[in-house]
Amino acid sequence: MTALNILLVLSAGLFLAGLFGVAARRTLLMQLISLEVMLAGPALGFIAAGAHHGSIEGSAMFILVLGLAAAEVALGLAIYLHMRRATGGDSDAATRLRG
Amino acid sequence: MLAYLLLLVPLPPLGGFLLLALDPYRLDRRPVLALSLAAGIAPLVLFLPLAIAYFTGAVGDMIAPAFTLNFGQYEVALAMQLDPLSAIGASTVTVVASCVMIYAADYMSGARVADLRRFFALMNLFQAGMLSMVLAADSIVFFLGWELMGLCSFFLISYNMTSPRAFAAGQKAFVMTRIADAALLAGLLLLFLEATSVRMDELIPAGLAAEESRAAIIAVLLLVGALGKSAQLPFQTWLPTAMAGPTPVSALLHSATMVAAGAVLLARFAPLIEATPGVAAATAIAGVATALFGALCAIAQTDVKRLLAYSSISQIGYMLLAVGMGAPGVAMAHFVIHAFFKSLLFMAAGVLSHAGGGSTAIEKLRGTAYVAPISFATYTVGAAALAGFPILSAGWWSKEAILGAAVEAGPFGQFLWLVALGGAALTGVYAYRPVLCALRKPLHDAPKGHESWLAVAPLIFLAIMSVLGGYLVEPIIHEMGGHAPHAGLGIEVMGALAAITGLIGSVAVTFIPSWNARIKRARRLRAGMQMDAIYYAFLVRPYRRIVRLLSGRDGRLGKHIGEGPEAQEGGMGDPVGTATVVFGLWLARVVTAPFMPDRFDTVIMRGAREAQRAGLWTRRLQSGRLRDYALGFALGLGVLVILGWGMTWG
Amino acid sequence: MGLSLQILLPFFGGLAVLFAPRFGRDYERYGTIAVMALTLLVLIFSALNGDSGRWLQLVQADWAPSFGIQVLLAMDGLSAAMLAISSILGIVCVFISWEVTHRSAMYHAVICWTVAAANGVFLAFDLLVFAFFWELMIIPAFLLIGLWGHGNREHAAMKFLVFNAVAGLGLLAAVFWMGATAPEITFDAFVLSEAGYSTPVQVILLLGFALAFMVKLPVPPFHAWLPDAHTQAPTAGSILLAGLLLKTGAYGLFRFPPLLFPEGLMAVAPYGMALGAFGVVYGAILACGQVDAKRLIAYTSIAHMSIVLMGVCGGVHFALAGAGVEMIAHAFSSSALFLLIGALQHRTGTRDLRELGGLQKTAPAFATSFAVFFAAALAMPGTANFLGEALVITGMFQVNWAFAAIALVSLVVSVVYATRLIGAIVFGKPKSETAVFEDLKPYELWPIIALGAGTIVFGLFPQVLIGWLRPAIDAALLPLGVGAP
Repeated sequence: MTALNILLVLSAGLFLAGLFGVAARRTLLMQLISLEVMLAGPALGFIAAGAHHGSIEGSAMFILVLGLAAAEVALGLAIYLHMRRATGGDSDAATRLRG
Repeated sequence: MLAYLLLLVPLPPLGGFLLLALDPYRLDRRPVLALSLAAGIAPLVLFLPLAIAYFTGAVGDMIAPAFTLNFGQYEVALAMQLDPLSAIGASTVTVVASCVMIYAADYMSGARVADLRRFFALMNLFQAGMLSMVLAADSIVFFLGWELMGLCSFFLISYNMTSPRAFAAGQKAFVMTRIADAALLAGLLLLFLEATSVRMDELIPAGLAAEESRAAIIAVLLLVGALGKSAQLPFQTWLPTAMAGPTPVSALLHSATMVAAGAVLLARFAPLIEATPGVAAATAIAGVATALFGALCAIAQTDVKRLLAYSSISQIGYMLLAVGMGAPGVAMAHFVIHAFFKSLLFMAAGVLSHAGGGSTAIEKLRGTAYVAPISFATYTVGAAALAGFPILSAGWWSKEAILGAAVEAGPFGQFLWLVALGGAALTGVYAYRPVLCALRKPLHDAPKGHESWLAVAPLIFLAIMSVLGGYLVEPIIHEMGGHAPHAGLGIEVMGALAAITGLIGSVAVTFIPSWNARIKRARRLRAGMQMDAIYYAFLVRPYRRIVRLLSGRDGRLGKHIGEGPEAQEGGMGDPVGTATVVFGLWLARVVTAPFMPDRFDTVIMRGAREAQRAGLWTRRLQSGRLRDYALGFALGLGVLVILGWGMTWG
Repeated sequence: MGLSLQILLPFFGGLAVLFAPRFGRDYERYGTIAVMALTLLVLIFSALNGDSGRWLQLVQADWAPSFGIQVLLAMDGLSAAMLAISSILGIVCVFISWEVTHRSAMYHAVICWTVAAANGVFLAFDLLVFAFFWELMIIPAFLLIGLWGHGNREHAAMKFLVFNAVAGLGLLAAVFWMGATAPEITFDAFVLSEAGYSTPVQVILLLGFALAFMVKLPVPPFHAWLPDAHTQAPTAGSILLAGLLLKTGAYGLFRFPPLLFPEGLMAVAPYGMALGAFGVVYGAILACGQVDAKRLIAYTSIAHMSIVLMGVCGGVHFALAGAGVEMIAHAFSSSALFLLIGALQHRTGTRDLRELGGLQKTAPAFATSFAVFFAAALAMPGTANFLGEALVITGMFQVNWAFAAIALVSLVVSVVYATRLIGAIVFGKPKSETAVFEDLKPYELWPIIALGAGTIVFGLFPQVLIGWLRPAIDAALLPLGVGAP
């Protein structure tokens, strides 16, 4: 097993762990954290692939993913604050589109 | 240059009309009167010098072109002309119209200012119409004036707008004359096509040169036009009812203008009438028949205005007789004299009936001779002229000329002469009746009325003309290019005897009670032989039936807008239009019937129901829970990954 | 470019007018007036700078070459006169709708679009584009009747739509067939006029065209939509219907059958004249029987437009000139009558002749205006209406005396219905509905004065009008083998 493969398996693992968190958790905050974990998976994959090919683009993609994560957290927290007031942070309770 | 003065003649009344009818300012009573009088008399002032110069030979015939329209080879050149006919006609019209306007200024003084304005505006427009008709050198201006008179007569006859009777009278006059106008228009248009020009001096030669049958048709159409406007048989019914208009209207319409316009038309196109012997004979017969008919009906009248109306019909019959006998000059002479005495009679009768308490019934005139002596005197002069009192009255000279022309025209003419002579005797019978009635002692003493000089001055002037006019007869005939007929002493004596018989008859009818009672009983004759009723039964009622049949019963419409459905329901509203709609709907139904019930539709609707059920089932997937959706994403992603992976194998 | 502006200005003007109320009160009205005035100015400018030949202006450009569609706009005196009428009536409509407040912006936009579509009809010589505008014109008029009408307006609007849309199919089918069978696909009217169809084919195609035109005109038996549409339409709708939409039918009849199907027209002309003669008498008689003032005028419109049909089918110079003059005269006089009846209805709430009367006493300006157009309705000499009818009758005398006689009968009947109308409205004692009657306001009076001036000026000095129409008449007569007289 090469280093790359190990890293890719690790990143897949991170992603699946995050996915499990999103699917299994009901608390919105925990789901957001799991989402971050999910994002970390592919980001790791990008870096690994970049290192493998000796290319800078992998790292550049990581910075993009970081930006995306930051934006997502900002939005997600805003929604969380709103939801907390309405449902107490339980995402299952918010099954209607009407806020 | 002088010719252009002609174009100005009808303009002042036209301007007066425009100012009075359309002005945005509220003029007061005096300005209205002043304006309309000025506009009404200005044509006289403008035209008189021209007429004098013309009659003394200082100026010759002339044509003043107005403007020209081009239709390819056809040229429509509008113009006005001065020739014997137009000079005579226009001088008469301007003189009589001025007199009537002055009289009207007094007569109408009691009316509301708004009504006064309307009245004088229309009178002025009427004058403009008649003047442009008389002076026209082309058929377009001629017809324009002719129709303007028709329009104004409608408004003037129904001047009293709140009276349904007046409106019906105006409508009747308008419709009847319009029938004749349509014929005239047809005749003029056919002439235009023959001549490729509208100028009178080219129309008449072209009409003469036309193929015989065509010329005859044109002549008949022109004759019908004249019969309608002049209220001759069989169009006479509109005139007696037209008396619903105020007295000045009657005085203007039924003396020199409107009604006499038919005579002017025939005199203008006399060569065409004469060229077709049959039409000339028809003209003469229509004239003589109307003369006799009018005289008979006039005898039976109990209303002085209706009496005068029938006398107009009768007198214009004489003019037609003259034209039919080939003597348009004689007809014009009678036109002039008739204009003087007939306007005089109407206006004097107006004053007398005011003096007698406002009613126009002949009985009510009793004693008015002592209340309004000047008017009575002028009325007597007019009646003498109407009856053709020998030597002294102008009417005798012109009527003698007509009778003489008839005698000269051969055996046919002599037969007509005999009938006309009878008519002349009858004329005497009715002409003096109001005079004699007014002369009788009043039933109760009435104070001597005040006769305003504004009303009396035109009467006196016209009375003088009705006496001295006899001197005009021969010059007029010569001016028109005819010769004064000299039928011999015997014929003239016969004419004089007829007139005197008429006077005696009149005395008898008035003073012999049984005869008088007989006149009162002659209802059928008084109603103009019930021609009105006959027309109503055979023309108006069938027409109304057709209208009602086609348009459905009245009252289909809801009372207010938005209420009630429209045409398609009830009655036979607009059968042709409805038929199309019904046919269209039927067609639509027939075309769609095989597809009813719509099988495509059932299949599709079943599909729709199934889809709905499927939808209900699928809805369960949408729990709305974030976690479920995330799982869905993941599963989908997994499937995609596996798919992608699988594909790279191949 | 000037010609496309005649269509584009009112169209985009209409769009702009939709948003005008956001900027201030009544801005949609001022905006519409500005648009119409600008259109009129452009028209005057392009007419004055026109060529002296057959066309004053001609615009030709490809649009969709693969389908043979092009922008082919041409204007001669006839089109210019119709365009001028459409802009003027647009302004008139704004004036007389000053009290319309319900969806005012949309209302004015719809007026603009009606004018735009009608202008397209008056200009287009690419038959497909012509047919497009022809159909387009129905939509705003439909909205105008359906949204702002009175009473049973949905029914009337539907009737209008169905009649005109179905009739438009005839035109569309004929146009498609002609375009598709041409050697090289084209809808250019001038090219297609040289296609050399055999006479039977021409007759069939002509019937397709004529169906559309005769329904719009309308001639009995295709007229059932008109009385309903007129009665239920708002005043502006009636004016646009009478002044513009009916005229597109007359215009089409005048323009295309002689150009495209001369032999076919010659073959069916006697039937056309007979239909026209029937329509003249039928419309006039039915007008005598109406109790609703607007219906009465609608039926007189049918009679007068039938005279146009007679004139066009007459195929002689006088008849065609008469048809052209009658078109324009009728645009003035009937829209003025509808305006007056609209004012009447606005004040009294009724158009029932039996409930009106006595306006001479209460509203002299109204009565005087009414009398003027009363004279025009019965073809008094001195009005343009007389000129039109007299010319058609002259032409009929050249062709067939029987038709001339029938047209003359209509002159008599016109007196009956016209006196009935004026007798019921102006004469008589004021009744409860008309006892208190506000006389015409300035914004109603000015359009009336303008229309009246048009009627009388063209009636007394018709040379201008005849001069405008001359090229169109000559061009219509040329294919018929009738030279200039």
